[in-house]
Amino acid sequence: MDIIACIKRVPDTSEADVVKIDPSQKDIEKDRLAFKINDWDEYVLEAAVQLKEKLGGTLTAVTIGPKEWDEVLRRALAMGADSAIRIDQDVSADDPHIVAIILDKVIRRLPYDLVLFGAQSEDFGSGHLGAMVAEILGIPHATLVINLEAEEKKIHVQRELEAGTLQSYTIDLPALLTIHTGINQPRYISMGGIRRAMQKELQVMSLSDLGLSLDALTPMVKLEEMRLPPKGKEAELITGAPEETAGQLAKILKDAGIF
Amino acid sequence: MTLTNFRYGDVIHRCFRCGYCKFPINWMDVNNCPAYARFRMETYSCGGRLWLTRAWLEGEIEWSDHLADILYSCTACKNCEVKCPLSFNIDILNMMIAAKSEMVERGEIPSAAKEFLENIQRQGNPYGTSREKRDEWMEGTGIEAYQGQEYLYYVGCVGSYDTRGQETARLLGKVLQKAGVSFGVLGNDENCDGNEVRNLGEETLFEMLAEDNVAQFQGLGVQKIVTLSPHSYNAMKNDYPGFNGVFDVLHYTQLLQELIRNGGLDVSGGYNAKVTYHDPCFLGRWNEEYDAPRAILRAIPGVQFVEMARNRNGALCCGGGGGNFYLDLLGGSEDSPARRRVREACETGANVLAVACPNCLTMLEDAVKAEGLENKLTVRDISEIVGEACVIK
Ligand code: SF4
Ligand code: SF4
Repeated sequence: MDIIACIKRVPDTSEADVVKIDPSQKDIEKDRLAFKINDWDEYVLEAAVQLKEKLGGTLTAVTIGPKEWDEVLRRALAMGADSAIRIDQDVSADDPHIVAIILDKVIRRLPYDLVLFGAQSEDFGSGHLGAMVAEILGIPHATLVINLEAEEKKIHVQRELEAGTLQSYTIDLPALLTIHTGINQPRYISMGGIRRAMQKELQVMSLSDLGLSLDALTPMVKLEEMRLPPKGKEAELITGAPEETAGQLAKILKDAGIF
Repeated sequence: MTLTNFRYGDVIHRCFRCGYCKFPINWMDVNNCPAYARFRMETYSCGGRLWLTRAWLEGEIEWSDHLADILYSCTACKNCEVKCPLSFNIDILNMMIAAKSEMVERGEIPSAAKEFLENIQRQGNPYGTSREKRDEWMEGTGIEAYQGQEYLYYVGCVGSYDTRGQETARLLGKVLQKAGVSFGVLGNDENCDGNEVRNLGEETLFEMLAEDNVAQFQGLGVQKIVTLSPHSYNAMKNDYPGFNGVFDVLHYTQLLQELIRNGGLDVSGGYNAKVTYHDPCFLGRWNEEYDAPRAILRAIPGVQFVEMARNRNGALCCGGGGGNFYLDLLGGSEDSPARRRVREACETGANVLAVACPNCLTMLEDAVKAEGLENKLTVRDISEIVGEACVIK
């Protein structure tokens, strides 16, 4: 089975107070942030590698971004991807439709039975890139996949909905899936593995290599402004011995009409 | 699947499961391997781990989550090395670390260990808190950035980020200021020392951290280092020379002992308490420094010093080594080593349990709460006791 995994690099924003809006008001300040692979994409790579280990075939990892984005491809190569392609273009601020058009062009050049995306990204979180690419490629897709089992020409998947409700589908290949966290337990990628992956080749392509130019790609939606949420009311910390704090807490709850 | 790169294939069979590795220096107890003490099963002792590793090596058992938990519950406390009667004891801990390395290379490690290592890759500390917050502990202390002072004060991750660790980091800084020691810190440019990374079997990440730290220290012209944590002390003293990083490394208790001895630090303010002392593994068994902390305590007026039954190279580990202060594979039971240890401290009649390691401090303080001993026993770092004795508020 030939698999293509589309992955991305995101800033580590697990602590909200390190996030600041830059002067353009269209992006966050990134220069002092640490970066990582998008959480969902770790599960994508693990699912892809497990399928490859079971069924053979090839695994190609694809990303679109500047040089630093190589690091997510190195992780993919360390995990067992056979090849990696980076489209050298910063599209982080562009609308997903433009990204989808570029990915369509890359994917069409490669052999594939299955294309995998993360269900969403940690930074912009639109969650519709995978579905858009499937539409442009003209292949069936399923989103939020939490279980998958592949056969020669079809794939059985389960999607996870609200409250853990599961939907099962059997889909003919080629197909595209967006993968949900929890589908597997992504393995640890050792630094030794990443160092060895430095020896593997990583292909870099430009938009013109794909017959595209950015000017000709018109966005469907345009970002107007980014802004941090207004500060909520300060939290109140009650300190002291439990005998006193319990009483204080009870009073606050009572005054608020909770009991 | 068998282990592919295991270096100890020809010696691991020498363990004959005598079980000596579970004892302290005498025969008073069988519970001196913290993981064995927690689970009371041979599998969790050094000998058990070696036999499991050998079975894995020879293809008799497969890797499993459970096998990974058993290996990672070793805190690298070195009790087994001190106690095993065979000459191969110099390598038994390395064998367990090598088995962890094999798991690291396959990517099959406990999820908390994965998180720990990825956080260090990304933010230079196991908590995953931003690198930009590493210097928050020193706010308002007036401690200077390192720029050629006599000592680099290396704080480490627990001292930089853990609330309780930060308190000791600040107090040690103030004590050094009071003694007029010329020192500076790295602030946000400080990175993980890698000691636990090595014990978790992530050799390449450890090498990268050691190389980067050595290059940074040399670039700044550092010659002498004083560390808050025995873990940093161990890595910098014993491992960094292998990366061409030869520095004059001191644990802070060694520097304070010297300052008190030569009159550079006045502790006449005293500290009135009955105090016992818990030897941190990376100061004690790993580096055989048992005297400096005791000498400090004995030099402070008002301190009535008592030993616990298990002390010096027979001390029971707090259970925090090998990354277990974060992985927490040994927690959640009254048999958890930290809880056993605070009960032992109470038996001496001491009302203060002194430590010289921020990991031990947080582990044992939590254990005091879990045991409900708050009214009987307080855990204090020696830096805090000295701070009080030289009247720092
Ligand atoms: S490691 Fe040494 S002390 Fe422990 S069981 Fe084996 S031979 Fe005995
Ligand atoms: S190093 Fe400590 S925890 Fe590990 S096996 Fe030896 S005695 Fe047990």
